[in-house]
Amino acid sequence: MQETTIKALTMMGVALPTMFGVILVFIFATKALHKAFPAPAEGEEDED
Amino acid sequence: MEVLIQQYPWLDELLMGFLGLSWKHVVMWAISAVLIYLAVIKDYEPALLLPIGFGAILANIPHSSAVSKIVGEEGFLWVLYQGGIANELFPVLIFVAIGAMCDFTPLIQRPSVMLFAAAAQFGIFATAVMATFLGFSFEHAASIGIIGAADGPTTIYVASRYAVELLGPLSVAAYSYMSLVPVIQPPVIYAITTSEERKIKMGYEDQEPVSRTTKFLFPVMIVLIAGMVAPISVALIGSLMFGNILKESGVVENLSNAAQGELANLVTLLLGITIGGTMAAERFLTVEVGLIMALGAVAFVFDTVGGVMFAKLMNLFSAKKINPMIGACGISAFPMSGRVIAKMALKEDPSNFIIQHAIGVNVAGQVASVVAGGLVLALIPALLK
Repeated sequence: MQETTIKALTMMGVALPTMFGVILVFIFATKALHKAFPAPAEGEEDED
Repeated sequence: MEVLIQQYPWLDELLMGFLGLSWKHVVMWAISAVLIYLAVIKDYEPALLLPIGFGAILANIPHSSAVSKIVGEEGFLWVLYQGGIANELFPVLIFVAIGAMCDFTPLIQRPSVMLFAAAAQFGIFATAVMATFLGFSFEHAASIGIIGAADGPTTIYVASRYAVELLGPLSVAAYSYMSLVPVIQPPVIYAITTSEERKIKMGYEDQEPVSRTTKFLFPVMIVLIAGMVAPISVALIGSLMFGNILKESGVVENLSNAAQGELANLVTLLLGITIGGTMAAERFLTVEVGLIMALGAVAFVFDTVGGVMFAKLMNLFSAKKINPMIGACGISAFPMSGRVIAKMALKEDPSNFIIQHAIGVNVAGQVASVVAGGLVLALIPALLK
């Protein structure tokens, strides 16, 4: 196999799992953020 | 003719355009005409394909002053290239504008859709591997793969660093295929899904409204996380989220409107014509460019397959079934991909409204494509060492 192909495969092997890792962190952080600052109930003013 | 020119030197000035003309220039005029046709008649990404097509005409007139690189007589397209593309300014400004246009509410309501967007970036890496099989160097192959991000500014950003000589074809491929999403994605989805899968309905029961504070803090959070993982991506993700915070802050409406309006329009105009200016015949009419155009289509196919197959995989483990078609919306072609998939669901079952889910995944694709671009930017120099 060519050296360039090995590098491209390495890039895929590193980037895709890293990407899913980062996305999982995004998901947990977004859920935490959404939970920490819930939207005001109907009739209430928004927090601003 | 040479004798005539020697006798009457002014003839050279008058006839230099005709004397320098070759069949390659004429072919490039035809390609420009196709781009302009697609923009004007077919309404495919007209804001970009029209300036690109016209810029390509300017670049393919022999001895064109628009692209002159002679010191002291620099053409305006060369000046724009140096001032906006070579230093990566235009893609970053476009991201500010896109950020100001983005509404991340569906993403915040259902953050798990980001997983589909991550899976839909598969095309980037699969295409990069394929490009190396075709003889491209690693950095060029990675830049070609980025077409699969379906994200014009990211493509330009990466190409201007690692494949500057391929900038024109890479940009044209990225924007052309983005506009061809309604043509590329449906047949791929039909090929890998069953009618029953395409009819799966998805509810909206667990979607709570999002507070302004959450919307405001979301871009800050994304920048901090992505920036810590790949600091090289900060320019891209930072400008995208800067645009978004302008919008979500609610206190600088004029700046947000300027980013969505004047900035977006002006930079799109300059970006398009400058890219067109890089499409000189000697660079564009090569086997390499033909391969890039073919690989660009392959990248979009792999993206679609990656997203759909991931959704199908999740269905194996999940009690709540997902319509696998929404996996295909994980690309950055927003909102086109979301709309195409929502229409496909309606075609399959007129009572199946998945538009909100599809748009949510499509918005996630905006973030995921920039993260993928950042990772590629970080890994190219690391693997070249």
